[in-house]
Amino acid sequence: MLPSYPPDDMHDFSKLQEAVLAGNSAAAVAAARQALSEGADPLDLVLHGISPAMAEVGRLFEAGDYFVPELLISARATKEVFVLIRPLLAKQGAQPTGRVVLGTVQGDLHDIGKNLVAALLEGGGFEVIDLGVSVSPEKFIAAVADKKAQIVGLSALLTTTLPAMKTTLDAFRSAGLRDRVKVMIGGAPVTQSFADTIGADGYGENAASAVQLARRLVGV
Amino acid sequence: MNSDDPLATESFQQLVVEPRLPEVLRFLGYPKGVFPPDPMKQSIEQVLTRALPGLEPRGTFSIYAVRAHTRRSLALGSETIAGNIGEFLHGASRVAVLVVTAGRGITELSTEAWGAGDSLAGWAFDAIGSWAAEAAADALTQQISSHLGADEGLTLRYSPGYCGMDLSQQRTIFGLTRPGSIGVSLLPSLLMQPMKSVSGLVGLGPRELVGVNLSPCDRCLQIGCHMRR
Repeated sequence: MLPSYPPDDMHDFSKLQEAVLAGNSAAAVAAARQALSEGADPLDLVLHGISPAMAEVGRLFEAGDYFVPELLISARATKEVFVLIRPLLAKQGAQPTGRVVLGTVQGDLHDIGKNLVAALLEGGGFEVIDLGVSVSPEKFIAAVADKKAQIVGLSALLTTTLPAMKTTLDAFRSAGLRDRVKVMIGGAPVTQSFADTIGADGYGENAASAVQLARRLVGV
Repeated sequence: MNSDDPLATESFQQLVVEPRLPEVLRFLGYPKGVFPPDPMKQSIEQVLTRALPGLEPRGTFSIYAVRAHTRRSLALGSETIAGNIGEFLHGASRVAVLVVTAGRGITELSTEAWGAGDSLAGWAFDAIGSWAAEAAADALTQQISSHLGADEGLTLRYSPGYCGMDLSQQRTIFGLTRPGSIGVSLLPSLLMQPMKSVSGLVGLGPRELVGVNLSPCDRCLQIGCHMRR
């Protein structure tokens, strides 16, 4: 259920919300341009337009009415709007929702789950640094330090590469960085129990829940 | 002929796979019977049209006599495969060890699409690759059925990492057949290359015995798995 606007609200973001829900990138960008031309604050586009629309997309996914393809086109629509408004947000000093370093752990070449999470995080206003596949612990550490990321997301799709998640976490501890970053993990063989065992901060059962987890980890 | 040798080995460089939208949609994440409305359905059909030239379905199998089996093991040739597979293939007098692939091209299409920012196409190409690998396995299983005698049937197909066999058994399976003949290799992590490849076992035996095979899905907790049988 999308929010309705109080009578004295000057900007109606319903067109933007509908376009995001429908995954219509062109209509979303057009609605955003119109709202901006009418004097809307770009931050309001995010808070009252994109965020509630993506929350509804997530709800529809959890309810079994939307599926991964619908998530992707909605996320793409919001990403296109962010391309438009990011320079305006930057001028205001607004920061991305969070900064996330993502990668598939060393020895694993699967990238589809990671790509899906990256697309949804970007749609949710996160800045994503995607390191690709078979990423060494050292490369994760360097990226987190360099980009001052708040979250590192580790993906694995094989039981044989799961141990690399623990190896990566241990490397963060050895480097003295463990307390400076939140670690979330995901992938077909990953379980909450495994996440608890290795000391991860969270486990995303699917891509949509990974975005909710990321939001919780950065405190929004 | 050495008793550890396969009874038969065949390789196919061009398996025939026929895409049917309902099957492809399941790999895209849609439950059985759910069809996306237009324009999503049109978008997916367009990606499927682009995907077909990128598919190179190939497969190979080797058939062995079952040397020995227990509920927790299955001896084929000079190897023993551990796991509940022994129970699942109870009743089979012979077992076909198979490897199939959809080829490299579909994964390359997926990677290019993701890189270009087309996440829907990237996801769809990957799902189509997964569908094609399973379709190639079905096509190869049809070829295996030509080795059945009168009143014989096939069991379900069982793959390492899913069905009564730990992923570590992948090495054993690769040692029992000729994946190199179709361009498939195994990385140290047990990932097959090309990635859209499937390996597995199919039992051959008297129809009244193999027809009552347990489905590993009955014991699996992943209710939403698109591979559920």
